[in-house]
Amino acid sequence: MVTYVVRRLITAALILLGASFLVYNLTALSGDPLEEFRASNQPNAAQLMQARSQLLDLATPAPIRYFKWLGGAAGCFAGHCDLGKNLAGQPVTQALGQALVQTLTLVTGATILAILVGVALGIITALRQYSALDYGVTFLAFLFFSLPIFWVAVLLKEYGAIGFNNFLAHPDIPIATALGVGIVVGIIAGVVSAGSVRRRLIIGAIVFAFVTLVLEVASITQWFRFPGLGLGVILIAGVGIAFGVTVLTAGLQNRRALYAALTTVVIGVAAYFPMQPLLNLATPLMIVILAVVTVAVGIAVGYFWGGYDRSQGMRAGGITAFIVGALIMLDRFMQSWPAYFDNGLVRGRPIATIGAGTPNLQADFWSSGIDTFTHLILPTVALVLISLASYTRYTRSSMLEVMNMDYIRTARAKGVSERSVVMRHAFRNALIPISTVVALDIGQLIGGAVITETVFSVHGMGFMFLDGISHVDPNPVMGVFLCVAITALFFNLVADLIYSALDPRVRVK
Amino acid sequence: MRFGRISKAVGIAAAAVLALSACATQGGSTSPSSSGSAAKQGGSATVVEVNAFNTFNSNTADGNTDINSKISYATHWGFYYVDNSLKIVHNEKFGHYEKTSDNPLTVKYTLNDGVKWSDGTPVTAYDIALNWAASSSYFDDASPDGKKGTAYFSTAGDPTGLNNTNFPDVSSDGKTFTLTYTKPFADWETAIGGNNGTIDVPAHVVAKKAGLADAKALFDLMKGMKKGDPSNQQPANETLKKAADFYNTGFDTKTLPSDTSLFLSNGPYVVKDMVADQSMTLVRNKDFNWGPTANLDQITIRYIGSAPAQIQALKNGEADIIAPQASSDTIQQLKAIPGVTVNQGHQLSYDHLDLNFYGPLADKDVRTAFMLTVPRQDIVDKIIKQMDPNAKPLDSQIFVPDQAPYADSVKNNGSADYQQVNIDKAKQLLAGKTPTIRIMYNKDNPNRVDAYTLIAANAAKAGFKIVDGGLGKSDWGKALGKGGYDASIFGWINPGVGVSGVPQIFKTGNGSNFNKFSDPAADALMSQLVQTTDQSKQVDLEKQIDQKIWGASYGVPLFQAVGVEAFSDRVTGVKYMPNSSGVWWNYWEWAAKS
Repeated sequence: MVTYVVRRLITAALILLGASFLVYNLTALSGDPLEEFRASNQPNAAQLMQARSQLLDLATPAPIRYFKWLGGAAGCFAGHCDLGKNLAGQPVTQALGQALVQTLTLVTGATILAILVGVALGIITALRQYSALDYGVTFLAFLFFSLPIFWVAVLLKEYGAIGFNNFLAHPDIPIATALGVGIVVGIIAGVVSAGSVRRRLIIGAIVFAFVTLVLEVASITQWFRFPGLGLGVILIAGVGIAFGVTVLTAGLQNRRALYAALTTVVIGVAAYFPMQPLLNLATPLMIVILAVVTVAVGIAVGYFWGGYDRSQGMRAGGITAFIVGALIMLDRFMQSWPAYFDNGLVRGRPIATIGAGTPNLQADFWSSGIDTFTHLILPTVALVLISLASYTRYTRSSMLEVMNMDYIRTARAKGVSERSVVMRHAFRNALIPISTVVALDIGQLIGGAVITETVFSVHGMGFMFLDGISHVDPNPVMGVFLCVAITALFFNLVADLIYSALDPRVRVK
Repeated sequence: MRFGRISKAVGIAAAAVLALSACATQGGSTSPSSSGSAAKQGGSATVVEVNAFNTFNSNTADGNTDINSKISYATHWGFYYVDNSLKIVHNEKFGHYEKTSDNPLTVKYTLNDGVKWSDGTPVTAYDIALNWAASSSYFDDASPDGKKGTAYFSTAGDPTGLNNTNFPDVSSDGKTFTLTYTKPFADWETAIGGNNGTIDVPAHVVAKKAGLADAKALFDLMKGMKKGDPSNQQPANETLKKAADFYNTGFDTKTLPSDTSLFLSNGPYVVKDMVADQSMTLVRNKDFNWGPTANLDQITIRYIGSAPAQIQALKNGEADIIAPQASSDTIQQLKAIPGVTVNQGHQLSYDHLDLNFYGPLADKDVRTAFMLTVPRQDIVDKIIKQMDPNAKPLDSQIFVPDQAPYADSVKNNGSADYQQVNIDKAKQLLAGKTPTIRIMYNKDNPNRVDAYTLIAANAAKAGFKIVDGGLGKSDWGKALGKGGYDASIFGWINPGVGVSGVPQIFKTGNGSNFNKFSDPAADALMSQLVQTTDQSKQVDLEKQIDQKIWGASYGVPLFQAVGVEAFSDRVTGVKYMPNSSGVWWNYWEWAAKS
């Protein structure tokens, strides 16, 4: 194991050396760094050209300059990194730090969301192989995958931000629109649901009626301007969630688990009003503590309900508590929405097209949370849409493979319930190959989403890379390259190690 | 027992609530409706810039980017500024400057009382002295290859004019600054003052960072030094070197420094907040009363690189004023947004066709013939008309239409002969010759390709054999002036104010004289021009030079680039400016519509 890791690390170092030499020289020789001064008619063009030549050390041939750069970069091992300076005279290490923060703000949420949604969709489509749902998800996943992101992003901005903000100014939904949306959603629901034609028709009709009604109520109550869930919705949704979570974690026949989940919902609803004054003073740390306390309460409830398999009840209670807590938080965010909406800096146009926050917005936890949300929602949606396909397809095929294994048939033959077969026997094993994909994707995440960054005007790693290339300045390019290459190589290694740890059939030598 | 348990539980719960409220927000802004909002009085506006700010000293070679200069202009004030008809406007409330003698050229600058930096320190003649020292390269004795000697202050401008001065005199009260030139300098009016004439680097801060007591100590240190001589290097003065190093890089930052002396203001606005690579916020400088009072209480600058993103931000109300790169798409989209005003105008950059004064075009008749075939109107129609329906070909080699003397100069400079394509006359001049002409241009620039195509097609009609000498983006610049082509199409930037740029292009043997144009009469006029300190005489000389250039069949200017600015109906007072200050030139006139 140790020799394997050492061997991999040595190979990684060699790859890094070779690749960095190539990238440095390709960048340095990719154009004319003095281009902007060549045709200049400024009286001091010659001096400026000389200053630039000195800054970039153009007198030294590129391959030799690489080794000078390497000397500075090697200092990173000794504790004082010198990756050179960019054209503005800013040290590359400092610029990298700033760019990294911007990129991570943009892509972290999107990556997590894409993994969650993608894996869930993959499992569902695998369980319902060759159904209308399966075909539908496959079609959409590939459609989004093949759309150019700059186009999707611009469309999202036009309709998701500008159009939606215009709508918010007068949030009235005409009855025809509500009916239209209801019909579309109803048809989709009918198509993706399972069962006989009659059952599908009924489901479609119910969904149609429900959606239309909700839209009209939202329109009449000006819900989009003054949103909120309220105790009633939290209670109803909570009960639904309690059932759902129990189905997944314990199965409905485990009554004590169900009671545990339901008790948690009741406690959550009971705590709704007493918690409001405390929530008004929220800080991020407090929310974290509250989340821990909430989950602990849920687990405790499960523990006290006891039963033959206590851990199932605890799991159901804990997860339900977390989701109900999240609902209460969502409700509290919604309470802050009108204040955010009318803020002099937001000016009634909350969904943003650029950047990561409204400049100079000095607001409490809730309003600044909304601010982050309104700024990140569009880039996140764009990134999730295009990266959904790979996760869905990987999970689907891996789940299908596992579901056809002999041990699954054995489990079924034993009489294990379908829930246990899927959740316990199949799901966990299906995740093993996904872990590799996820690890590799985290490596790529640092590389930035170059186009998304440009469209949403985020000066992250991708911007730094492009800017360096366009000015024929190898230093920032190499900075980005180093970061990306090291994370990619590292996570490759991690993926291999995780795989061998998860799957006993694979052993590293 | 049972009761005890409950009371314990209540106790624990109470303790837990207390512990949680301990980590709650301090100050208790409890109600969800309370949140930060912009001050209503005066209002605010958001301006979009393409590049991100990175230094509070925009005078250095590295720091001299458009955005740094604009922020410096908004937060500093000086003896003059340039308005959008490219005229110099004096700021008499800040101070007064006048030419006190012509021989030797002597200029006296007097600062008014009460003009001060935002830390309370008065603006003094020592601040001007630092500006002079930095932009004159007076103390530098570095050899041309930079290997020997010392280069102190980095400067983005051309130091030649200020370098030919004596060490300046400062009055004992620190209010007047007198500069004596050893050589007459035509652009003396704009010589002092960094960007747009502002006095933007506080000498007392630079002095303190170099370990000196105050601005006067820095001045005294410089006074004790000799002028640098690149042919006779001296050991570097350590203290001045320290001051210069701080001047060169000490003001670089992307976030608001905790040391407030790094961003002192002496202008209408002062920096309040910076978010690296995202935004910057300026608020009104309360002390400022030595210039026009700005209308807006707050200006926010956001950095958006791509033009479509700028337009969508304007449309979505996130930006109030934008100046994206002009293209027909951009202009169309902007005009389609309701409530948005679009200002269009010329930029100072212009494309031109230059003919080499050697090779097949050495003969003046051949050059004239070639110029007669250039379809300037067609080129403008094809490239510019869709953006600016009123566009006309540029008719002067020296002036642009935004400058007052343009109209007058165009009447007499000889450009009238080239208004129409005249193939017959060109054929006549060629007299049966069919010279082969290689035209060099940047083939990665679609506008230049269009211009080349039209020029080549028409020249062929007169009998020229045209060879496509187009080179790629990174090669064409290097090829300039190296021969290997006979005519070239590329762009230049008119300086707008000042005359030092004229000989750089047109004088025999000078750096940007790529086509080896040489006319002794024009050379003499240019030598006179750069030593003429009277502006009306400068204009006369420039007109004569314009005439000489056209008369020598130099080549033809083609068109000016189009500039566009757009602003929402929430602001007023934005006016078009052709030079690099862009929308910022009259930022104090911007106002919020209530």
